[in-house]
Amino acid sequence: MHDQNVDPAPPRRRGLVVLLGVAGAALAVAVGLSIGLAMPVLTAPSDDSSDVGFARDMSTHHAQAVEMSMLGVRQAGLEEVRRMALDMGLTQQAQIGTMRAWLKQWNVPPTGTGPRMAWMRDGGMSHDADMADQPAEDAPMPGMATEAEMARLGTLSGAQFDALFCDLMIRHHAGGIEMVDAVLRTDPEDEVRELAEAIKVGQQSEINALTQLKSRLSEQ
Amino acid sequence: MAQSRGPKIGRRPKKKAVPVAAARPWGVIATVAAVAVLAVTIIGYAAFASWRGTRPWGDRLAEISGLTDYKAQKPAWLTQDHKEGPLDYAVKPSVGGDHNGAWQNCTGDVYPAPIAAENATHSLEHGAVWVTYRPGLPAEQVRQLEERVRGKDYTLMSPQENTPGPISLQAWGYQLVVDSASDERIDTFLSAARINAGPEVGAPCSRGITDTGTAPPPSAGG
Repeated sequence: MHDQNVDPAPPRRRGLVVLLGVAGAALAVAVGLSIGLAMPVLTAPSDDSSDVGFARDMSTHHAQAVEMSMLGVRQAGLEEVRRMALDMGLTQQAQIGTMRAWLKQWNVPPTGTGPRMAWMRDGGMSHDADMADQPAEDAPMPGMATEAEMARLGTLSGAQFDALFCDLMIRHHAGGIEMVDAVLRTDPEDEVRELAEAIKVGQQSEINALTQLKSRLSEQ
Repeated sequence: MAQSRGPKIGRRPKKKAVPVAAARPWGVIATVAAVAVLAVTIIGYAAFASWRGTRPWGDRLAEISGLTDYKAQKPAWLTQDHKEGPLDYAVKPSVGGDHNGAWQNCTGDVYPAPIAAENATHSLEHGAVWVTYRPGLPAEQVRQLEERVRGKDYTLMSPQENTPGPISLQAWGYQLVVDSASDERIDTFLSAARINAGPEVGAPCSRGITDTGTAPPPSAGG
């Protein structure tokens, strides 16, 4: 043991190596954990990303469909329309909740300060700094009903309500699908893609159902 | 004991040796440390990632032995259009496809008699698991199934003549047939598929129809 020929390293130097090793391992664990913890924050979509823009603007877009649907539950003539309105209203409100949860999880405000639909206007790519500086009017979202149309829908009931409801909702859904297609072209986060694809299929089948309903209504 | 006393005796010579040992293998130490940092970083992140992301529901479901995955095998069947009146389903009880506009209420409803697939399929679209059993299943087994369903949102249960075994579970795109209500796969299926399997994300189970009978009610009804 004390034979210097067999073990040239003095015990003290070996102790130092062990100490360095332990310190290195501790540092490595700390670095590993920090990277692990920082990863979700660092990889979260940024405030001007198309994912964030979609989540915010689709929430606004959905909110109008929920408003129309609530009118439908109360004022529709046919039980069938009332039931479709209930289905669409509750579903879209739940989807708004999902999108708000993303924004919270991504550490960005639930609403944007920039112009609406900017993420979609530049081909779905996040716009660069000098473009964000340009004052831009809020673009109308595709398919949204105007204030006048919403006011008129609010005054109707029965068959008249059903007819306008079908028209407005078909247009609204078609616009929603446009927004979905735009975000799907940007290689979105997995959760965004899943919901966007579900919205596309769901709203397309609702457009089909509303179109059938409309043609039956006009026959009556 | 003699050996343990050794170092004490050798202390003085060792102090003298310190200046001699000036050349430390820093290269080796640095390399070892760098490798250790890299290794622990990778392992640390992998452990963190696996802790953070629980496994996707689709994987947990697909692992159940005896499960039939129609979502993978027959995606073309799983259309989501509203069609009124009686519809024909390739799988019985239905695992998805076009359906009536009215959904069967699925907030943990236990129906005492068979229900219409045209409405139950709409419930599957909304994320419900439909638990079915062959009429004549022993009362104790029915009671055990009821315990898993009654009052539990996004489930519904009914006897159906065309159940392909004593008991079967249907979610949108999936079916599992089991022999006994005590089968552990029932809980695995329920926890993986409820809400998750429904393609209409966020859709409700409440305010559906509660009619029984295998003929769907007329579209204006309910």
